[in-house]
Amino acid sequence: MRAFSRLVALAAVATATLAATVQYDFSVEWVQANPDGDYERTFIGINGQWPPPPIECNIYDRVIVNVTNNLGNESTAVHFHGLFMNGTNAMDGPVFVTQCPVPAGNSIIYNFTVDQPGTYWYHSHFGAQYPDGFRAPFIVYDPDEPYAGQYDVDTYLTVSDYYHTSIPWLMANQFLTLTNPTGSEPIPDAALFNDSQNINFQVEPNKTYKIRLINMGALVSQYVWFEDHDFQIIEVDGVYVEPAEASMIYITVAQRYTILLTTKNSTDRNYPMIASFDTDMLDHVPPGLVWNVTGWLTYNNSADFPQPALIDEYNFYDDFSLVPVENEAPYEPDYQVSVDVQMMNLGNGVNYAFFNNITYVAPNVPALYTVMSSGNLSTDATIYGTNTHTYVLGYQEVVEIVLNNFDTGKHPFHLHGHTFQVIERSDDNMVYDPSNPGTINEYPMRRDTVYVRPGGYMVLRFKTDNPGVWFFHCHIEWHLSQGLALVLVEAPLEIQSRQVIPDDHYAACKAGGYAYEGNAAGNTVNLFDLSGEKLQPDPLPAGFTARGIVALVFSCISAFAGMGFIAWYGLSEIKTTSPEVVDIVGEPLDNGDDDESK
Amino acid sequence: MVQIFDVSVFFIVFRESLEAAVVISVLLAFIKQGVGRSAEDPTVYKQLVRHVWVGAAIGFAICLIIGGAFVGTWYTLGTNAWGASEDIWEGVLSIVATIIISVVGLAMLRLNKMKEKWRIKISKALADKDVRGKNWFRRFTRKYAMGFLPFITILREGIEAIVFVGGVALSSPARAFPLPVVCGLAAGGGIGYLLYKGGDYMKIQYFLIVATCFLYLVAAGLFSKGVWFLENFVWSNAVGGDVAETGDGPGSYDVRLNVWHVNCCNGQTSGGWMIFNAIFGWQNSATYGSVISYNAYWIGLMVSVVLMLFKEKHGHFPLLKSWTEKRRAAKLARRQKKRLEEAEKESAQSHDTDSETKEVRVSVV
Repeated sequence: MRAFSRLVALAAVATATLAATVQYDFSVEWVQANPDGDYERTFIGINGQWPPPPIECNIYDRVIVNVTNNLGNESTAVHFHGLFMNGTNAMDGPVFVTQCPVPAGNSIIYNFTVDQPGTYWYHSHFGAQYPDGFRAPFIVYDPDEPYAGQYDVDTYLTVSDYYHTSIPWLMANQFLTLTNPTGSEPIPDAALFNDSQNINFQVEPNKTYKIRLINMGALVSQYVWFEDHDFQIIEVDGVYVEPAEASMIYITVAQRYTILLTTKNSTDRNYPMIASFDTDMLDHVPPGLVWNVTGWLTYNNSADFPQPALIDEYNFYDDFSLVPVENEAPYEPDYQVSVDVQMMNLGNGVNYAFFNNITYVAPNVPALYTVMSSGNLSTDATIYGTNTHTYVLGYQEVVEIVLNNFDTGKHPFHLHGHTFQVIERSDDNMVYDPSNPGTINEYPMRRDTVYVRPGGYMVLRFKTDNPGVWFFHCHIEWHLSQGLALVLVEAPLEIQSRQVIPDDHYAACKAGGYAYEGNAAGNTVNLFDLSGEKLQPDPLPAGFTARGIVALVFSCISAFAGMGFIAWYGLSEIKTTSPEVVDIVGEPLDNGDDDESK
Repeated sequence: MVQIFDVSVFFIVFRESLEAAVVISVLLAFIKQGVGRSAEDPTVYKQLVRHVWVGAAIGFAICLIIGGAFVGTWYTLGTNAWGASEDIWEGVLSIVATIIISVVGLAMLRLNKMKEKWRIKISKALADKDVRGKNWFRRFTRKYAMGFLPFITILREGIEAIVFVGGVALSSPARAFPLPVVCGLAAGGGIGYLLYKGGDYMKIQYFLIVATCFLYLVAAGLFSKGVWFLENFVWSNAVGGDVAETGDGPGSYDVRLNVWHVNCCNGQTSGGWMIFNAIFGWQNSATYGSVISYNAYWIGLMVSVVLMLFKEKHGHFPLLKSWTEKRRAAKLARRQKKRLEEAEKESAQSHDTDSETKEVRVSVV
């Protein structure tokens, strides 16, 4: 027994010493590019290049990303989507959740270890910044993964929607304004494969390619398929699954699918591969919008590059039926968070998104810093703010999220710091009824970003084994800005005792003039005094306000007074005086002309 | 109900037909009192009365033809060209209608004055015929004066009515025209008949006061609606096509300009509230513009009443005494000068005729 445990310890040390440190120095700056050949625009690039470089590492590596904001006119922050950041919650990235925005001219260091293999991506988590170009893959290799040795080439393929116009401008002028009362999301201008179009994906015959598909878009889910080529889905969002035979996948923004695609025997032709917008998610389809992007599995550079064939319907693989390799029965929930999603207009005429009538409004102090500066009160959800929709969760529990989508659109929801079991996902237009559950798989699928159907519901379960402040939100950037988010403070006392916020993170707060201690309002003395916190706009008045009643009463009085004057006029005596006659006939009458007197 | 009876059309036709009826009743009263030797000769009396009615009937017939042609042409050509359901046209037309109604409305309360005016004019016309009889047109009108006067009056009033109705009701559907026209004619004719019969002045006056109050309620509502439509036009353009999706709810109006909003009771679309909208200008979503314009209209009307009463009492508008008197004096001077010139011409001509006659006589003898 002692020998065995010594062996285990030796193995652990060996692994640890094998783990490398990978360092990236990112200078975040503006770069010109023209990905669809139609329009050159300024993007947020890294180190003078766009698309930004991918981050690649091996499992158990330590990754250090030194980010310097050289944008000049915008702040920034980086989130490593899908990474658990266990023990290093401060490195997660969303502003006012785990850090302050990093103002222009400042830098911040993200330093964390990666304990999970698979396909991830990194992107800005400041406002709706990442669709302006600040996003790229983050690949974690694992020589001991379940599918090791079953493929010849390991590569990635990204899809994205693409806007010609800058997102912050669209947000302020076209989207979050009272002249957009239906909350109609701006329509993207094009679709991209690997931040380009008409790409040649070079392949050799009889080889198996492991293709990591990532959707780095802002809004639209896409159908992806390779003509005449089926494939096997082997991983979703960092979770390895039993191989699932498919010919088309449906990938929402922020999701990843890794597939094994085996190429054909001969090199006589090339095959189109297509990514196509789910146009249901567009408010309207403007004429002239090309909502597909094409590439080719290029076997033969001198052969034709045929146009893709039209298809009648999308037969995509429903990720609900995927079975994880490390399969688990559904967890037994200890605690339930139930939220209803809807979109409504508030008193300023703008359309916002709500979880249970609360639209997320960022606090003055990042929630993690509130945890760190609140001692025993960190377990009281009140101190995190009235409008941040914060739940405090215990440690090593199972939390169930029931989400009813009362909106008519699909939404991809993402939970930071975890993967979750997708227990149920209903069809359109069904409300959660615990006494009448839908299909529950024996070994539920797990991932970190999943979509809910229009009018439908979904049930998610995860274990609170990762102390930290985790954001749960719709990954459509427009909806996130509309406030479709909530905050989970998971095991705050454990965060306090085990984690440290690096000084350069606090320095970013100071540089931006943000508070970094105290409750959501920044109050460090009385944590229950939230005066000064930011709140959502007042609702629209329902019916007559005081102003309306006054206006109506006054109008009625005017009308009655006016009618009184008319009656007065009608009843007055009138005589045709001499001057009046002149007005009528142009001269005064002589009495002789008056026939009546005869 | 609103879609087959346009209230403003009713009032315009009522007012114009009332004036025409007054003219006819005054003429008939004159004839009865013995103008043109009718007191002496019953056949002449009957003839003159017939002249009056024939003249009136011809005038009325021509008006109907012109009016029908106008409405018909407008509704086949005009509405298509204009897209008259657009908010901006609704707004402009409503305000134009209000102006027309406002100007025309108060005159209905001066029936006696109207009657006096016509009595004077008709007397003068009948008297004038003795002074000038030279050209054939004048001879014709002199001979058939009793017929010509109602004809020309009805023609003029009728064309006025057509033009006003055109301005007022262009945004209504064509089927909203016939009923109010008929009702207006009937009401106007009825009041004229009562006048002729020497009906109780006070009772008629009370009825007219109520009718005028109603008319101005409609006009105030129209004015408010006009402003509302113009603001709605601006809002629809700002939002773009989505406004239609929002129905009565949030997004269908501009929160910055809003005074009250209820998600029901839409004056454009929902049943009974449409009548409220037609009479009072009710909107389920009122703006500062629509409320202020409504009140401003009534205030303007009250000020106008005060000014008009002042003028009637003193002969001029306040502060304009000397200006009015100067103007009257100038007008009088012009008229007298013209009269003198004509008298000179006449005497010159008659002098010529006299000399001709003299010469003839001489030659015969």
